[in-house]
Amino acid sequence: MRSWYFSEMAYHPAWQEGLKRGSLRVILPNENLDPAEAHKLLHRYLDEFALCDEVGLDIMVNEHHSTATCMTVSVPMALAVIARETKRARLLTLGNPIANRPDPVRVAEEMAWLDVLSGGRLEMGLVKGAPYEIAPANSNPARLMRRYWEAHDLILKAMSTTDGPFNWEGEYFHYRNVNVWPRPIQQPTPPVWMTGMSVDSGRLAAERGHVIGTLLSGGTAKPMYDMYRQTARERGWEAGPDRMAYAAVVGVGHTRDEGLRRADQIADYVRTAPVVAEQFTNPPGYNSVAANVAILKAGPRAHRIVKDRQGNMIDHRKASVQQFMDTDTVFAGTPDDVFDQIRDFNVRMGGVGHLLFFGQGGYLSHQDATQNITLFGREVAPRLREMN
Amino acid sequence: MSRSISVSGVTLDIEERGAGRPLLFLHAGEGLQPRHPSLDHLAARFRVIAPHHPGFGESTLPDWFGTVDDIAYLYLDLARTLDLQDAVLVGTDFGGWVAAEMAVRNMQRFTHLVLAAPLGIKLGGVTDRDIADMHAIPRAEFMRLAWADPRRGEIDYTALPESELAAIVRGREALALFGWKPYMHNPRLKRWLHRIDLPTLLLWGEHDRIVTPTYGEGWCAAIPGARMELIRDAGHFPHWEQPDAFAERVAGFVGQH
Repeated sequence: MRSWYFSEMAYHPAWQEGLKRGSLRVILPNENLDPAEAHKLLHRYLDEFALCDEVGLDIMVNEHHSTATCMTVSVPMALAVIARETKRARLLTLGNPIANRPDPVRVAEEMAWLDVLSGGRLEMGLVKGAPYEIAPANSNPARLMRRYWEAHDLILKAMSTTDGPFNWEGEYFHYRNVNVWPRPIQQPTPPVWMTGMSVDSGRLAAERGHVIGTLLSGGTAKPMYDMYRQTARERGWEAGPDRMAYAAVVGVGHTRDEGLRRADQIADYVRTAPVVAEQFTNPPGYNSVAANVAILKAGPRAHRIVKDRQGNMIDHRKASVQQFMDTDTVFAGTPDDVFDQIRDFNVRMGGVGHLLFFGQGGYLSHQDATQNITLFGREVAPRLREMN
Repeated sequence: MSRSISVSGVTLDIEERGAGRPLLFLHAGEGLQPRHPSLDHLAARFRVIAPHHPGFGESTLPDWFGTVDDIAYLYLDLARTLDLQDAVLVGTDFGGWVAAEMAVRNMQRFTHLVLAAPLGIKLGGVTDRDIADMHAIPRAEFMRLAWADPRRGEIDYTALPESELAAIVRGREALALFGWKPYMHNPRLKRWLHRIDLPTLLLWGEHDRIVTPTYGEGWCAAIPGARMELIRDAGHFPHWEQPDAFAERVAGFVGQH
């Protein structure tokens, strides 16, 4: 199992205000951000990314918009900095929200450029994006996935075509001369990743052989992984663990208490992420008809709820670190504890080749963050690499 | 009575009731809600033909179909298929936008146009919101802006059968498809409203805060000879809040002109 360190570069000084207003996203005015403080935080977070290279971890970045939970607004910008500061780490975007990007050829150019800059270390996630990203991007949620797939096909063609230019006259995107310079080192394209939570996502990723990643979804990940494996078998190939990824909060300490304390602070990311004004959580067309029928039938409610291993419902906004551990959202404790928990999880899931390691939630101090990264990188990650 | 009819590759689910002069009724973005008495009030005076828009009710939404232009051409084809003559065209809210898009194209089969709180045009500057952003406010706030008395519009979704819930969900998705960006309007439509050359009535609920009566005056000024009437104790959906007064105003207008 490979381990990828991940941080959203939170602006936690605004969280109290966001929680008070019931939304950390979209409608929290940016007067709640002090740019001088943001300057310090960005440099601190980038230092934490750079440390990963020294301790043998790979790196993942994502992006969100109009939010106090994540100051990374552009995957290629963040990775451009990190690519220069690292030598060995593989660099994963998870991802480029391509259904919200008006210009897929620009995405292809940026990804190819990053692959060249990093010496072929790029892994390229192409994602649908969260529902509350629809409003900041003002992209149409209806037929979102149709737009996603057209962008996906165009990006991969643009990156892998060497005898262009070619033209593209599709439903959503129109170009007459696509010819991406520079072209990527990894041919035909850097490895492609997707995210998902449903069995449908597992099937769609398997049909293309992409890596499928899922975020913090505990037991619901298993059916998706199983569908991936089944679809691959039906198509004549065997999907190994390297096709499956799972994101979890990890807190490691010299003692169990220290590891749990760190995990508890990082888990504030999980607690704050769902705090969004309700009208932005489910734009029409984003979720399936069946899912929306279920939501209407249930009446007013709709918060991120997952089940723990005993089938109890856990509300992500309020969960304790122990409850998060029961839902496989958090792995925490000493290096031995954390290794054991991940090993058991890996067995339950049938083999997951990538751990996406949330190691920064905001309130975690720089000192704690660097110790967490170092302990995990030196004491846990090498043992995970031997697994599978 | 409801039936389905195939027009230009779309299977339309149509409500038909009443007798006399044909009236093509184009429903709001919230849906047709055929069990609401509003259609019966119109049917007491007209032969009402009310299609569920593509993607709403049981009407299909083919993959190739996706703009308000498509709906306008589809309903012009529907009017030909049904051989409507001397018909009245009525559209409310989103349906008013569709009716206006039809009217700037071809009104041969129609004698009167009634637009009730139509969406569809842009009047103010780039940072003015002519049309309340229904998708950026909580549902309760939408109800408060859209109804003179929001209690009249409340729906207990938990009590509806799954088939109706699925239709509501599909309708919401279709409305987003047609109207998300630019938001619920066609930036070019206002420039062509001068082509509407038949008697036109704009009906507005006094308490409409989705599109205010001031926005209605902008419509009125852009359509030659149009007149505007307010309906008391009604918001954005006067046909639902004051169904009898609504039907009376439509019939009165058609009778006078």
